[in-house]
Amino acid sequence: MSIALLLIPLSLVLLVVAVAAFFWAVDNKQFDDLENAGRQILEDTDEPGPPPPAER
Amino acid sequence: MNASASAHLSWIDGASGAAETQFFAEGMRCANCARSIQRAVGALPGVRHVDVNLATSRVSVGWTPGSQTLERVLDSVAALGFRPVPMLGDAAAAARGAERRTALKRIGLAGLGMMQIAMYTVGLYAGAFTGIDPGLARLLRVTAMLITVPVLLYSGAPFLRGAWSDLRRRSLGMDVPVAAALLLAFAASVYNTLRDAGQVYFDSVTMFIFFLLIGRYVEAAMRRGSLDASEALARSLPAQVTRLKSDGGSERVALAAVRSGDRLLVASGAVVPVDGELEDASAVLDESLLSGESTAVSRVAGERLLGGSVNVGTPLRLRATTNAGSSALASMVALMERAQSERPRVSLAADRAAAWFVGAILVLSLAVAGLWLWLDPSRAFEATLAVLVVTCPCALSLATPAAVAAATARLARHGILITRPNALERLAQIDTVILDKTGTLTTSQPCLGSVRAVEELGAARATAVAAALERHSAHPLAAAFAAVDAAGVPAPAEVREVAGQGIEGRIDGCRWRLGRREFAGGGPLPAGLPQDPAEWLWLGCEDRLQAAFEIHDSLRREAAAAVGALRAQGLDLRIASGDRPGAVAAVARELDIADPRGRQTPADKIALVRALQAEGHRVLMLGDGVNDGPVLAAADVSCAMGQGAAVAHAAADMLLLGDSLDGVARAVATARRSLGLIRGNLRWALGYNLCAVPAAALGWVPPWAAAIGMSMSSLYVVWRAQRFAREAA
Repeated sequence: MSIALLLIPLSLVLLVVAVAAFFWAVDNKQFDDLENAGRQILEDTDEPGPPPPAER
Repeated sequence: MNASASAHLSWIDGASGAAETQFFAEGMRCANCARSIQRAVGALPGVRHVDVNLATSRVSVGWTPGSQTLERVLDSVAALGFRPVPMLGDAAAAARGAERRTALKRIGLAGLGMMQIAMYTVGLYAGAFTGIDPGLARLLRVTAMLITVPVLLYSGAPFLRGAWSDLRRRSLGMDVPVAAALLLAFAASVYNTLRDAGQVYFDSVTMFIFFLLIGRYVEAAMRRGSLDASEALARSLPAQVTRLKSDGGSERVALAAVRSGDRLLVASGAVVPVDGELEDASAVLDESLLSGESTAVSRVAGERLLGGSVNVGTPLRLRATTNAGSSALASMVALMERAQSERPRVSLAADRAAAWFVGAILVLSLAVAGLWLWLDPSRAFEATLAVLVVTCPCALSLATPAAVAAATARLARHGILITRPNALERLAQIDTVILDKTGTLTTSQPCLGSVRAVEELGAARATAVAAALERHSAHPLAAAFAAVDAAGVPAPAEVREVAGQGIEGRIDGCRWRLGRREFAGGGPLPAGLPQDPAEWLWLGCEDRLQAAFEIHDSLRREAAAAVGALRAQGLDLRIASGDRPGAVAAVARELDIADPRGRQTPADKIALVRALQAEGHRVLMLGDGVNDGPVLAAADVSCAMGQGAAVAHAAADMLLLGDSLDGVARAVATARRSLGLIRGNLRWALGYNLCAVPAAALGWVPPWAAAIGMSMSSLYVVWRAQRFAREAA
C-alpha cells in the first residue's frame, strides 16, 4: 500500500495542474462568448483588420 | 475608480435642478444589501431619493447639487463593501466580464476540489469498513484538508465576505447562515483531523460551496441576461457606425460621436444607430424592437427612421436628426431604466420578511443544536448544519423582483413599455377602462362618412367632383377622398387652395368650391342638406351649395378586436372624448360601448375618473398621451399610445409603442399573470422552507442534500420567472 503514499500527493499535483489550466483559459476569455464565435464565420463583415506591420 | 466612474455617471436634470445618477452596485446579492445601501446613501445630506433594485443591481440616486457630490455618494456605497460600476458603455461591460470570469474561476476550483475530495472520502469510507492503515487514513484527511483550504478561502470568499459585511452593518443577510455553516463544518473537520478521530466534513464543505456558486452563477446570468430588457435594448446599438464624409469616403466612428446632421451608412442587417431621415429612395426596416410589430415596414426617401430598427433590406444611407444620446431608443432606455431602478411595493414587504426569516433560522439552529446535544450528541452537529444550510430566504426575497423583471421584459418585447414600477401591480387590479377616442380608438386618418347632395347633382357625382378637387390638395382632410374613384370627372383647371377655407377649381365650366360653408357658397340652404354647418365639409358651385360630406376619423383596424379582448377580461369599458357627441356616439355604437360621453373637457374626464374611483372601481385610462396628461395622472393606471421620440414626453405609467391597441389586453393579462406568478413564487418558497426545516431539524437531511436543496430552491424561483419572460404569449 505504500504506493498510495506516492499517488496521493501526485493527485494533488494533478489537481493543481487542472486548476491552473482552467484559470488560464478563463483569464484568456475563452468562456466569455460561447455563441458568437461560431456564428462569426458566417457573417459577411469585411472589416479591414489591423494594418500589417510596416516593412523595414 | 470613483473619479473615472463619475465621468460616466453624473448628469444634471435641467428642469428641477437636481442631479441624478445610476450605477450598478457590484456584489449586491440579497435584500439586505439593497436595504443597507438605501439606508446609508439616504442618510447623506442633500440626497433626495435613493432607489435600489436587487433584481438588476441598479442604484439610482438623486441629490441637490452643491450640498452633495457624486464622489461622496459612491464612496459611501463602496464603504459598505460594494463596488459602484458605471452603467454605460464599455466600462460596464468590462466590469461585468471581469465579475463573470472570477465567478467561473471560483466554480472551477470548487468543482475540481470537490471531485478530488470525494475520491479521498470514498477511500476513507471504504477503509472504515475494511480496515485501513491509520497512517494512510491520516494522509487522506490531511490531503483533503489541504484542498479544502483554498476552496473555502477563494471559492467561498463571496459568502464569507458577504456575511462579514452583513454583520458589520448589524443586519442579517442570507450569507450569514451559509458562512456559519461553512466555518462550523470546516472547523470541526480540522479539529477532528488534528486529533485523528471523529468525522470529517471536507466533502460537504466543498460540495456546498460548489452548488451554491453554481446556483448564484445561473441566477446572476438570468438576472443580467434576459431579465434586463432595457439593457437588451441598449445592447442592440452598435458601438461603432460608418459615417460618410463629404468627399465621398467613409470612416468608422464611435456611436457617441454621431451628431445631428451626420450622414451614416447602415449595412444590410445592421441596426440603425440614431433617428434620422432616409436619403435613399426606399428601404425596408424591422422596427419590432421599438414597436413590437414584427412585420417589416418600408420607408421612402425623406421619411423618418427610428434608431434601434434593423435594416432588413439593402444598405441604406441616412442623415441623422438626433445625437446618439437623444434618439427614440435612448429615451426608451432611459424610461425603462427609471422604472427598473425603483422598487415596487410588493417586493419591499418580501425583503423585510426575509430579514426576519434569517434571524429566525439562526435562533432555530441554536435550539436544534441544544436539543440534539441533550438527546444524542453524536447527531447534533449534522442536524444543526443541515438546518443552517437547507433554509432559503433568498427564494423569498427573489420571488417578487424576478417576476416583475420578467413581466416587464416580456411586455417590452411586445412593444409595451412599463415606465413606473407599481404600474404592473395596479394594472392587475383594474376593473374599468376609460378610452379616449381621437388618436386612441381612431387613427388621425380622416375617412368619408355620409354624403348629402341636392337632387340634381346626386351623391355619387358630388363625391367624384370633390375627390377630383382634393387630388390637388395637401390638406390632411384630402386623404378622406383618396379612395374615391374620380375617373368620370375631368381634371379641374385653375385650382387654387385658400388656407383655412378650402380649395376651388373649374370643372366642366363651373367653378367648384370645397371647404367651409361660407367658402363653398352663400345663400339659402337647399333642401336635403344638413342644418349644422360646423360638422360637415361643403361643396358649392358658383356660390350655390350643392353637397355636404361628413368627415370623421376612421376607427383603428384593430379597435373592435382589442375592445372585445378587454371585455372578455371582464373589464367595464367607457368612452370619454373631447370630440362632438355625434362622432363619439357613432364610434361607441360600432364598438358596442354603452354611455358614450362626448365634448368632455379634461376636467370632465377627471371628474369621471374620480366618480368611478369613488364607487370603488380601479380605472385604467387609455389616451394618446399628448393632451391627456392630467387625466392620465388621475387614473389608477394610465396608458398612452406613442411612437418614436414622443414616448419620452408622455406622462403615462405604460406606453404602447406600436401605435396599435392590441397591446392593452395583453398588458392586462400579463400583469394579472405576473401577480399570480409572484404569489405562486412566495407560496412555493414558503412551502419549501416549511417542509425542509423540520426535516433538517429532525436530522433526516444530510448536509450535502441540504446544499443541493437550497441552491435548487432559489434557482427554481428564478427559473419560473424566466420561463414566464420567455414564453410566447
